[in-house]
Amino acid sequence: MLSINNLHARVEDKPILKGVTLEVPAGEVHAIMGPNGAGKSTLSYVLSGRGGYEVTEGSASLNGEDLLELEPNERAAKGVFLSFQYPLEIPGVPALTFIRTAVNAQRRARGEDEIAAPAFLKLAKEKAASLKIDFEMLKRGLNVGFSGGEKKRMEIFQMAMLSPKFLILDETDSGLDIDALKIVSEGVNALRSPERGMLVITHYQRLLDYIKPDRVHVLAAGRIVASGGPELALQLEAEGYDKYVGAAA
Amino acid sequence: MAAVKETIDTVAALEKYEHGFTTDIDQEFAPKGLSEDIVRFISAKKDEPEWMLEWRLEAYRRWLELEEPDWAKVSYPKIDYQDTYYYAAPKTKEGPKSLDEVDPELLAVYEKLGIPLKEQAVLAGVEGAPRYAVDAVFDSVSVVTTFKKELAQAGVIFCSMSEAIREHPELVRQYLGSVVPTSDNYFACLNSAVFSDGSFVYVPPGVRCPMELSTYFRINAKDSGQFERTLIIADKGAYVSYLEGCTAPMRDENQLHAAVVELVLLDDAEIKYSTVQNWYPGDPETGKGGIYNFVTKRADCRGDRSKVSWTQVETGSAITWKYPSCVLRGEGSSGEFYSIAVTNGHQQADTGTKMIHLGANTKSRIVAKGISAGKSTSTYRGLVSAHPKAKGARNFTQCDSLLIGKTCAAHTVPYIEARNGQSVFEHEATTTRLSDDQLFYCQQRGLSQEEAVALLVNGFVRDVLQQLPMEFAVEAQKLVAISLEGSVG
Amino acid sequence: MSLSSVLEGSDLPSRRHEDWRWTDLRGLIRIVPPVSPVFFDVIKSAGPFAGQADAELIIANGRQNWWPGEDTKTVEFFEHDAPDNPYDRASLPMAAIAADNAIEPRASIIQFNGDDAASIRFVSATDGTSHHARLGVVVKAGVSAVLLESHEGRGDRYLANTLIEIFLEEGAKLERIVLADDAAEAVAVTTAVVKIAAGATFNQTVLTSGARRQRIETHVAHPGAHAQVRLDGIYLLNAQRHADQTTVVTHGGVDGVTSQLTKGMVADQARGVFQGRIIVAEGADQTDARMGHHALILSDKAEVDAKPELLIFADDVSCAHGNTIGALDEEAVFYARQRGIPELEARAMLTQAFVGEVVERIEHDGARQIAEAWVAKQLGREE
Repeated sequence: MLSINNLHARVEDKPILKGVTLEVPAGEVHAIMGPNGAGKSTLSYVLSGRGGYEVTEGSASLNGEDLLELEPNERAAKGVFLSFQYPLEIPGVPALTFIRTAVNAQRRARGEDEIAAPAFLKLAKEKAASLKIDFEMLKRGLNVGFSGGEKKRMEIFQMAMLSPKFLILDETDSGLDIDALKIVSEGVNALRSPERGMLVITHYQRLLDYIKPDRVHVLAAGRIVASGGPELALQLEAEGYDKYVGAAA
Repeated sequence: MAAVKETIDTVAALEKYEHGFTTDIDQEFAPKGLSEDIVRFISAKKDEPEWMLEWRLEAYRRWLELEEPDWAKVSYPKIDYQDTYYYAAPKTKEGPKSLDEVDPELLAVYEKLGIPLKEQAVLAGVEGAPRYAVDAVFDSVSVVTTFKKELAQAGVIFCSMSEAIREHPELVRQYLGSVVPTSDNYFACLNSAVFSDGSFVYVPPGVRCPMELSTYFRINAKDSGQFERTLIIADKGAYVSYLEGCTAPMRDENQLHAAVVELVLLDDAEIKYSTVQNWYPGDPETGKGGIYNFVTKRADCRGDRSKVSWTQVETGSAITWKYPSCVLRGEGSSGEFYSIAVTNGHQQADTGTKMIHLGANTKSRIVAKGISAGKSTSTYRGLVSAHPKAKGARNFTQCDSLLIGKTCAAHTVPYIEARNGQSVFEHEATTTRLSDDQLFYCQQRGLSQEEAVALLVNGFVRDVLQQLPMEFAVEAQKLVAISLEGSVG
Repeated sequence: MSLSSVLEGSDLPSRRHEDWRWTDLRGLIRIVPPVSPVFFDVIKSAGPFAGQADAELIIANGRQNWWPGEDTKTVEFFEHDAPDNPYDRASLPMAAIAADNAIEPRASIIQFNGDDAASIRFVSATDGTSHHARLGVVVKAGVSAVLLESHEGRGDRYLANTLIEIFLEEGAKLERIVLADDAAEAVAVTTAVVKIAAGATFNQTVLTSGARRQRIETHVAHPGAHAQVRLDGIYLLNAQRHADQTTVVTHGGVDGVTSQLTKGMVADQARGVFQGRIIVAEGADQTDARMGHHALILSDKAEVDAKPELLIFADDVSCAHGNTIGALDEEAVFYARQRGIPELEARAMLTQAFVGEVVERIEHDGARQIAEAWVAKQLGREE
């Protein structure tokens, strides 16, 4: 599924990723944990192709296809979905319009037929109900005036609608209260399947109580400095990142 | 606002311009009027080299061809340029002056104005208190400059413009008129021909000027114009903070003040330029007299990452026509303009700034607060422009006007020109009045009406006052309150 | 027909004229083109507002070309062959020129006697000639009217100059929708002078794709007195097109409301100009005036110039203006692309949403849908 090999990247002249190597096989959920400034968000942006990040060395591929050469929307069509730490507000574009445009653009890119309006609406209603999203909210400008929790739920909703192959959740727990966290986690867990991989980026262990990872990796100063099973997350929660920050420096 | 009306009546008597005294000092004048001979006279009086005289004459000839501008929202009777003295100076001994040689009458004037000219007096102050070096300009000439020696040790040149022309001709020739060319505009051109004195500052590379520099301008003579010229050069990595203050006596005739200030900034240099302008505003009832303050101020950020900051508190003058500007040429250079303009009585102020973004990633910020009361008019006029090469340019502008009373006016006239697709300009403006509700709220909590107004006005101008050096901020705050006395408090 | 004076290039406003600093006509037109020929044919193709109004007036090449003959009950039509010219060339140069040079009838007048909509089509079907036209619009007391005005360029390089005078009687309401699709090399100026009485409502939305030089100018004499004014605009410009939206609202009395929102997008080497002036005269207390202008620049050769002015002579007022100029939010573009939407489509979608706020403010349902479709078409997003 996702293969990252010796990935180096910088922002302007500042190196952020300094040789990240990672394999996430299909069907597995891997967590990336690490202190602030370790490069966690940079990793998610480099994988999804945001401008301003320059890859200087290494590779990243999904199912053997090189991701780094592709445009962001091409990567999306290949199935890479990034759930943003801070989802954007887009006034004037109703959420439904936005998602339908995205679904159809991805389908066209894959040579599939566009989804018909009735089928789209039916699907949207189903998914919205399962995420406890008021359908009326989907007719308003995307994320405009939404609370932090509502925005995250809208990300999961889009995820459900777009049915991506590989999910990257960037600090999805930030700004969520416990109830919102449960709903969001349920939404994510519902998408777990043998064909789908996930990378869950988080600073705190809390999220991993709800989304159980198969593997946990520690990212510090631009490198993976430790990997282990779910118990590693608990250990980090108890001991903090200090020893890794020291080790990486 | 009935409450305000009441205050107008009760405190009308309080209104007073506290710097309106005149001083009887033995002075010498050039004959009234303007001609090539007067230009020669001024140049000769100052012992200027030939090149300087030629420069002045060239400016004079160009001035004859220019027309007085009329686009500002100000109106005044036509100025008779032949009915003004272009040179007035206190009679003093020849040669370099030390503080001891300065006419005691003159020192008394500055004492009365609260300007510290005695170095030891300043030195005797509280340990660690900031010190100010002062250049005092009385009518046409600089009477004294303090702390010159100490500044010289740091390599900083701070002297009168006349002295700079004699002692540092290479610097003056290189930079004078390089920011504001002689023919830039009508008043700048006039200034170039007849400027009498002003301050000169040079801060060498890497030097952080060890104290605040300031110039104190005083117009005293009757029927005279004041045309000072200030040139500040901050070499690579240098820093200087400069303050200027202005006052004039109360006279029934209008007097012209047409100054030019040029700032030059090389790579990584920073200049902070603060002005508290309190020229005589004219009679608040009749509008008679007062200074016509037609000033050209411009900073040229030639160097990359250079930074200039203009802060002005304009409370005086019958008419103000002034747009301290920033030419942001160097890559990553930045300009700031913070302004408080208070008009009352019959004052008219047309002031603002120009932010000319020429270099990539240049930034500018404008915060302008106008307060109009009485029968006055206050106009913010500003230009923000981004050249096609100024990619990544950023501007933020906030203009707020506060109106006090039914007969005043407040205008906002911004010009915004964006010529590339990678700039971001934001402009916000509001016009409001002092709210009865807010006044009542304050009064209900026990403040007198005057205190309430002072409090609210202070809140309104706070963003700008914070930009001033501490001592000036306190002074400016008082000045704003005094200027509004008689309108509401 | 009589031309009261021979119009020369030097009569046109130039950049030296403060109000025309960004829309210089004199520099572009040295010699005013000859008067446009009569356009005899009935315009067969439908205008952009087809089907929205029974009453339709067509003015082609400056001359009245079509009127359905009989007046409807609610809309009456007159001609005025000797109207005066109250405009002075210093303050309203193009209006004064139009009044002096309008071809016969010297003025056409539409009067709304009852609630209705009327379509007025200014068609320029000519190349390299010039024409001036004058239209009066009267809305009787208490009547609610809609004016659907289109400017249709069917030739090129023409100079079209239109003066529209609008009078709203007490309590009357007019929504004026202007859709200007001029030819790329045309020079077109439309000046509307609007006088409204107490309690009247004037709502306007201008949609334009510009021309070589184009200016759509609106002057409103606002009496206060519970009258309401909304002045909106959208400009979407590409190639070398230029569009200038200039408004002047003068609040003359207490208790008036003005709300303005103009949004625009410029691409290629296009230039958008917005000049908005709100004047609150002495004594016009309780005025509430808000003005917003927001523009997107999509190219490094495009330009936007703005001058949002507030001239306030009264103290008990609440006035504000905001102006932003910048590029599309790249974060939002990336967000849309991350969801799989190609870049160009993402940009067009975001631009459409950006100006959509202005379209939403159109009250007339048919006009709003037409405006929506027009925006989509300009941005290459036709469904």
